[in-house]
Amino acid sequence: MPALPQLILDGVFTGAAFALMAGGLSLILGVVKVVNLSHGAFFTLGAYVAATLSRQGTEFHPVASILLGGGVAFALGTFLGKGFINPIRSHPFSVTVGTLAFSLLFEQVAQFAWGPHPQIIAVGRSFSGPLGTTVRMWGAAAFLACLALLAALRLLLSSRWGLPLKLIAEDEEIAESVGIDAEKVRYLTFGAASAMAAVAGALLAPAAAIVPTMGRGPLILSLIVVIVSGMENLPATFALAVGLGLLSNLGAYYLAPEWSYILLLATVCVLLALRPAGWKGLVIARDV
Amino acid sequence: MKRVYGLTAFLLLFAASVSFGAGPLKIGVLAPLSGPFAANGTSFVQAATLAVEQANAEGGALGRRIEIAVADTEGRVDVARSETLRLVSREGVDALVGAYLSEETMGVMETAGPRGIPLIVPVAATAEITDRIRREPARFRAVFRVSYSIPQWAETLAAFLKARKTARYAFVGTGIRWNKELGNALEQSAARLGIGVAYAGYYSPGNPAFDPVAVAAAGSGADIVVLGDPGKNSLSFLKRLRELSPGMPVLSVGGTLGDARLVPSLPLAGPLYVQAAAWKGSTPSATAYAERFEKRFGSAPVGYSDTLPYDAVTVLVAAWRQAGSAKGDAVASALENGTFQGAAGAYRFDDSHQAAWGPGPGALRGTIIRWERDGGRIVFPPH
Repeated sequence: MPALPQLILDGVFTGAAFALMAGGLSLILGVVKVVNLSHGAFFTLGAYVAATLSRQGTEFHPVASILLGGGVAFALGTFLGKGFINPIRSHPFSVTVGTLAFSLLFEQVAQFAWGPHPQIIAVGRSFSGPLGTTVRMWGAAAFLACLALLAALRLLLSSRWGLPLKLIAEDEEIAESVGIDAEKVRYLTFGAASAMAAVAGALLAPAAAIVPTMGRGPLILSLIVVIVSGMENLPATFALAVGLGLLSNLGAYYLAPEWSYILLLATVCVLLALRPAGWKGLVIARDV
Repeated sequence: MKRVYGLTAFLLLFAASVSFGAGPLKIGVLAPLSGPFAANGTSFVQAATLAVEQANAEGGALGRRIEIAVADTEGRVDVARSETLRLVSREGVDALVGAYLSEETMGVMETAGPRGIPLIVPVAATAEITDRIRREPARFRAVFRVSYSIPQWAETLAAFLKARKTARYAFVGTGIRWNKELGNALEQSAARLGIGVAYAGYYSPGNPAFDPVAVAAAGSGADIVVLGDPGKNSLSFLKRLRELSPGMPVLSVGGTLGDARLVPSLPLAGPLYVQAAAWKGSTPSATAYAERFEKRFGSAPVGYSDTLPYDAVTVLVAAWRQAGSAKGDAVASALENGTFQGAAGAYRFDDSHQAAWGPGPGALRGTIIRWERDGGRIVFPPH
């Protein structure tokens, strides 16, 4: 088995998984304009839905998992957006602490509902790829789903349906002055973004041990991607996520596995130092 | 009139002392019940509860019932320390059993040791625990460990590798202290038996890069992968490895991969071995424990994070009975000189208060099973 092609392929798949999460997170940052630390909880919710549908972990039903996981997360996210985020969103610190509290609360609820013991879904088939590589089914699914979701998001933002989102991201007062119900758009956006996280969790469930705290890692990594890339450029989000996935994998193989995280975080620091306006870029540009 | 008051006061004091003396003996159980190690902590507390129920069914100890006070350490050293203080000062426990991780156990030991409260360490394996006891015997007079130490653990793993005629192995774990200690100890034990290391990799707990570690381990030319991670990440790594190399044999140090509930969806195209302190069928006491556990909680024990806490409580209760007292010095003397029966076998403690495990005579041996779809089959030590 040749190592380098396999590492590159796995790096792309890992990056796609980051991007899948980051897509929803950047939507919330751009439109709702809050730092949402509950995103990892929705990722976990999607994975648990997939596990529940999998009949003792022996069968994975991707379509049912995506539909049910996404649907439940959309409903819960919309409720959270309307009932909790919208009333306090003018206090950014409260939102950050509040979403973190929701996330921890969800972990406790998940532990109560599904137990603390890990659940798994059978790994599924992997198949031979080019250059002697092994293509992991979950990785290919995450990659394709990520491409499809990001493409759909880009299409939405460039269509007239995406105009309210862009207007709210640009200037809420102008948006409201032309009759857009900004509050409704915000909580629906929160719901849709939560559904994206749940879809990511459902798709990646066969690759992971499903436990209440499984969303913590993906949350941090997707937050990093969003902070550095911003929302104005979806292809940049994807490219950055894939780049970080590659860096993580190659660093782990050629340096040492423990160095991969340090390398990842050091790179992010350098990127932010070179592009300190990263936070300012977290709005949907008019010309997307 | 004065005599009546005096008699009343005497009777009240007598009644109070009688009721105090008849109060329950309390064991403080420290385990991670939330956070990333919650699954292991839950089994830990279940097993401790079972041991206490068993002891009470046999009449308790010192003529008193036994109770447990549970503290959630969250897998954090600072929480473990503060919960130890709470159990000792507010709950008034007579002894402690815990904690789970080596780091948090060191914190518990530092807090409980100088107070003379008996502490039985059931799971943590770092050599630092017994090193500290050896260096400061008075300070840690009442600290004893029932679980295998890292060198003992490595001896058992190496003996199994030798029995499988392994030439070279790959070691994979998480980048925490005890896992690196285990990797190094195994390297030394295996080298003495003529077995080499093909690859050693420790993934970061923050961003476990499973894929490149799996690529490296699968391509290292090793005969078997020793998976040193007892936590949930062992599942993710096993999946990644089996996607690349379905037939590669894997030896897990136990923990999560010993959970029978996961077997239907584990990738078992290649052999998957799991080390355990005891397993149903390994000894009559292990079988009796496994059956009781399954009946009480509806699932089989994993043989590690539950079996050892069960034995820790069982050994403590036996020491109370043997000492005829719950005082730290008396309990320590009993533990130093006695032999105590647990699910894994007979426990004897050496000068550093470490239970004897390994291939030596009279030592506890532990066991290694191989997962099949219909359950675990004991493969080591050979009958």
